[in-house]
Amino acid sequence: MNKRILIVLSFVALTAFAEANTQWILQQSTLTYHVSHPLHQSEGVSHGAKGKGVCHAGQCEFLIAVPVKSFDSGDSNRDLHMIQVTRGAEFPLVTVRTRLPESDAAASTINADLEIQFAGQTAHYKQVPFKVEKQGGETHISGTIPATLTDFKIDPPSLLTIPVKNDIPVRVDMTWRPQ
Amino acid sequence: MLSNLWRSSISGLVVVSLFGMLAPSLIAQTVGKGVLTGRVTDPSGGAVANASVAATSIDSGQKQTATTGPEGTYKLELPEGNYRLTFEAAGFKTLEISSATVSGTAPEILDGKLERGEAVNGNPALTQQENLPNAPSSSTTAPSLSDLGLSPEQTRGNPQEQALLDKRTHMLKIHQRMGLITTIPLVATVILGPGAGGKSEGTATRDLHVALGSLTGDLYGITAYYAIRAPRIPGTKKRGPIKFHEAMAWIHGPGMILTPILGAMAFSQKNNGEKVHGIAQAHGPVAIVTAGAFGAALLSVSVKF
Repeated sequence: MNKRILIVLSFVALTAFAEANTQWILQQSTLTYHVSHPLHQSEGVSHGAKGKGVCHAGQCEFLIAVPVKSFDSGDSNRDLHMIQVTRGAEFPLVTVRTRLPESDAAASTINADLEIQFAGQTAHYKQVPFKVEKQGGETHISGTIPATLTDFKIDPPSLLTIPVKNDIPVRVDMTWRPQ
Repeated sequence: MLSNLWRSSISGLVVVSLFGMLAPSLIAQTVGKGVLTGRVTDPSGGAVANASVAATSIDSGQKQTATTGPEGTYKLELPEGNYRLTFEAAGFKTLEISSATVSGTAPEILDGKLERGEAVNGNPALTQQENLPNAPSSSTTAPSLSDLGLSPEQTRGNPQEQALLDKRTHMLKIHQRMGLITTIPLVATVILGPGAGGKSEGTATRDLHVALGSLTGDLYGITAYYAIRAPRIPGTKKRGPIKFHEAMAWIHGPGMILTPILGAMAFSQKNNGEKVHGIAQAHGPVAIVTAGAFGAALLSVSVKF
């Protein structure tokens, strides 16, 4: 009798464990946007992203948020102009949401469908490839999001009346740690 | 002598007056009109006729409306700026687009796909979402912004600051364009300088030099005005090439005041048949330094060194 109760309890405990949420926390991040102009190649870097992933029933939902103002190009004038054209004061965060199978954590590459909210607009990117590297208890993810200005209805800023290119690829380097 | 001075002053005035007539239109071009156009469709892609499209300026609050034709198309001619758009039609939910930018460079095309149902204000971003194979769900496990430890101040928008940034950019765009325009008469004035003050006894080059110099001074004044009056953004620490750009202004600013004063003295001496002497001899060197500082300021924010 006791043995049967023990088996049932063990099964319930295992099921509960399997159903329990596991979480991922963004430890470190470097996000770099690249802007091309015939006279300039400039980059803005942010280390200010915050992120969290919650896994449940084999699926993980991730949310990453970056303050627009946290991007630094080394030129305060350019940064202010960037905030203006992207309506960064009105929409102060860039948010990225994605959902991945929990099993992807063991893969060397993942293809993620991203939903990015930026400048008051929402854009979707399908199957963006990211490289996954395990280092100790941490998972390092890197890749490039092929963003464009038109994706977010951003009027291309111009210098000497020449507009910048539409492509603004965003390089992503993130270190995640399970909690 | 007086007749020479009079003639050169007249030609200078003519050029300046011409500029005075042209300047407002030059500036007006920078705040021109743009076109917002698009097509309103139902969920099946069919045209929705007689739909109302309203564009409300985020900056000024002014509203303009248009009605779609039989093909579902609409067209709005709007001043450049940012607009909040509303698409409404009987039997459809109201669609809102929170921000659309209208520029004078190219027509902004914005289509509206309406969902059938009661007209309610929905989230514009969500109405445009696609169903992706592994797209984010709205499940209860999905983390939220509050889970990330972001304070309300970090997540809340600040329209006042955005308006300040918009005004700053608008003024600096004019500053930039006027600076470029100023370069043309500035270079021409410098090129004509040796001829104007040289051995030649003719006054035509000198008159043209004076006229172009006057034009340069006026244009420079307008350029400087838009930089000085552009609003400052609180809490911003200046970094990068803009510091050099501003440092150069401390050279070309006083130079732009001193150069014409010295020029007038040199002009007077020359017209009296005298050799340019005294402090007036500094007119040329001061002008060169001023033009050099102006060029360096322009290049510092244009080309990456």
